[in-house]
Amino acid sequence: MIDSVDTILALVLLSVLFSFGTSRLPALIKIIAFQGVAVSIVPLFIGHGLTTGGTVFTLVTLLIRGIVIPLCIYLAIKKVAIRREVEPIVGYHASLLVGLILIVAATFVSPKFNLPQTSGNVLLLPTAITLLAAGMFLLMARRNAIAMVLGYIVMENGIYLVGTSFSVRAHHIVEFGILLDVLAGVMIMAVILQNIKQAFDDVDTALLRTLKE
Amino acid sequence: MVELVFMTPFLTGVIAFFLPRTTGRLLLVITGSIHLLLSLSLWIRRPIAVFPDYFAVTPEGLLSLLVISLLFFLISIYTIAYLKEADIRSENIFTGSMLLFLSTMTMVTLSDHIMVMWIAIEATTLASAPLIYTHRSAASLEATWKYVLICSVGIALALLGSVLIDFSMEVGGVDVPVAFSSLTEVAQRLDPLWLKTGFVFILVGYGTKMGLAPMHTWLPDAHSEAPSPASALLSGVLLNCAYLGIFKTNKIMQAAGLGNFSGNILIVFGLASMLAAATFIIRQTEYKRLLAYSSIENMGIIAFGTGIGGIGAYGAVLCLIHHSLIKSALFLSSGNILLGYGSRLIEGTGNLAKLMPKTFVTFFGGFVGIAGMPPFGIFLGEIFIILGAFRTGHYWGAGLFILSICVIFAGFANHVMKIAFSDTGIEIKTNESPNMVWPQFALLITSIVLFFWMPGTLYQTIINAVNAVGP
Repeated sequence: MIDSVDTILALVLLSVLFSFGTSRLPALIKIIAFQGVAVSIVPLFIGHGLTTGGTVFTLVTLLIRGIVIPLCIYLAIKKVAIRREVEPIVGYHASLLVGLILIVAATFVSPKFNLPQTSGNVLLLPTAITLLAAGMFLLMARRNAIAMVLGYIVMENGIYLVGTSFSVRAHHIVEFGILLDVLAGVMIMAVILQNIKQAFDDVDTALLRTLKE
Repeated sequence: MVELVFMTPFLTGVIAFFLPRTTGRLLLVITGSIHLLLSLSLWIRRPIAVFPDYFAVTPEGLLSLLVISLLFFLISIYTIAYLKEADIRSENIFTGSMLLFLSTMTMVTLSDHIMVMWIAIEATTLASAPLIYTHRSAASLEATWKYVLICSVGIALALLGSVLIDFSMEVGGVDVPVAFSSLTEVAQRLDPLWLKTGFVFILVGYGTKMGLAPMHTWLPDAHSEAPSPASALLSGVLLNCAYLGIFKTNKIMQAAGLGNFSGNILIVFGLASMLAAATFIIRQTEYKRLLAYSSIENMGIIAFGTGIGGIGAYGAVLCLIHHSLIKSALFLSSGNILLGYGSRLIEGTGNLAKLMPKTFVTFFGGFVGIAGMPPFGIFLGEIFIILGAFRTGHYWGAGLFILSICVIFAGFANHVMKIAFSDTGIEIKTNESPNMVWPQFALLITSIVLFFWMPGTLYQTIINAVNAVGP
């Protein structure tokens, strides 16, 4: 039987490659939305013996990571910036190569950690590590402010995946608090994006260079 | 009940968003005084929290809480006068954010659960972001963007670190609540590899928020662009909150017998921060940025002292308390200077001693204190840290420590002399209203009093807080 968790995780890995290769912001936002959905349904299949509270929480996560957060950013940039490219510092082909190297490296190092409860899902840890590194990469290799926010979200998705393998003990109220913080953070970033757009008529972070030593 | 201390400012903060412009000012002071009373009652009664899994009253938390409470009360009085002079468009957002900021910082000091701590620290970032953007200029927009993005990413790493500490429980086969207090008790049984990795991520994450070099880049921008009362809060207490996260994790490391590992990392980051601050202070052109870099220096001193452990950790806690008192007095004074001269540049000021004599006294007094001279408490703290460093054989570390303190003193003194005495022929626009001066005096006098006489309960609480960090 093909493991459903690994199938989902494979899709997540693909979404990383797509996000590295795309030049258009709307496409990037859609990819991140898909990634959010995929990452948040993993706990449903991982089989910790799901309780009602767990299911509800997973659905709320799905709603926030998959719909609310991407929508927030989409609305923030709707008018001016939507037709713009992501202004890469590292080119798309090079980015794709980096993405592949990341995945290979993550798969290579993962078995070296002696993690509990990952024996059933080969791809869980490699995917989490890849997402963390991919988020960092998007933050560094794109000058566009929106792409940077999306990089932050990818990182958060990675941390969420790391967390799912231990989520037996964590209280849902605590996890919900974390989720709320992330949501509020992204909303504040969206507001700042909107203001940057109005003040500079662009969202290129190269324009934000007045404060430095 | 413990939770009331942070629920009160939360509620008044939410209310403040909907109040008409000037009513919020009064609410600020009222909440500040209620908060101070509640904190004092926590000191006296030390109750158990309603949700003991998530919150607890710890010695180090009590120390930070009292500092936060006292500072906020004094700063709120200053803020009323400041808001009358300064032109702030959406004042209710400012006051509301100040109160929410107070609430989240209080939550940091009282949280015991490792994830709740993270939630609270991330919430401080979110609550303080509108404060930095108060002036609505392009520069403040940039500072806010940097602040939110860098701190969020940094703190995300701390979340990863917290999850990894969870792993160390699972691998070690420990089943206790994921709280700092219970983890410290069972630290010996945690898996050392995951614990170490978790500590590194937490240090980098909360270190970003604390302003340790090389993750400090957001700090000078945010502190210089925020209005002065907000800068005073950011520098005086927000940095302490982030430090609390590192301090508590360090306690787990000490209890697990990994104190050398965590101590050495803290020493390296501490010295790096001090050296980075020294290089930027010498060539600084703006006085608020000067103060911000001085905060980075002091956070470096505190990290170094904590890394040394023992008597050094005691010195670090002293530095923490006195840095809050003195630095917030300095930032409030810098607010007066900014209102008076209308310029952020050191060049744009001058002759402060004659033009604003009272502000001159607080600014110069603050400088003397922050430079580590008696009769202010940082002097004692630094002496203890240096003694501790020599006692544990960190001769190179102590050498670099003393060197950077000297360089910073020279650079800082040079700038302060220019501001205070150079005759630039500038006229000033404002007079000094009493409410914009006496909070600074109160802060500085508190520091002097604590230098000569420390109440027994305060001393005992500091000892209780640091006794886990080496002999």
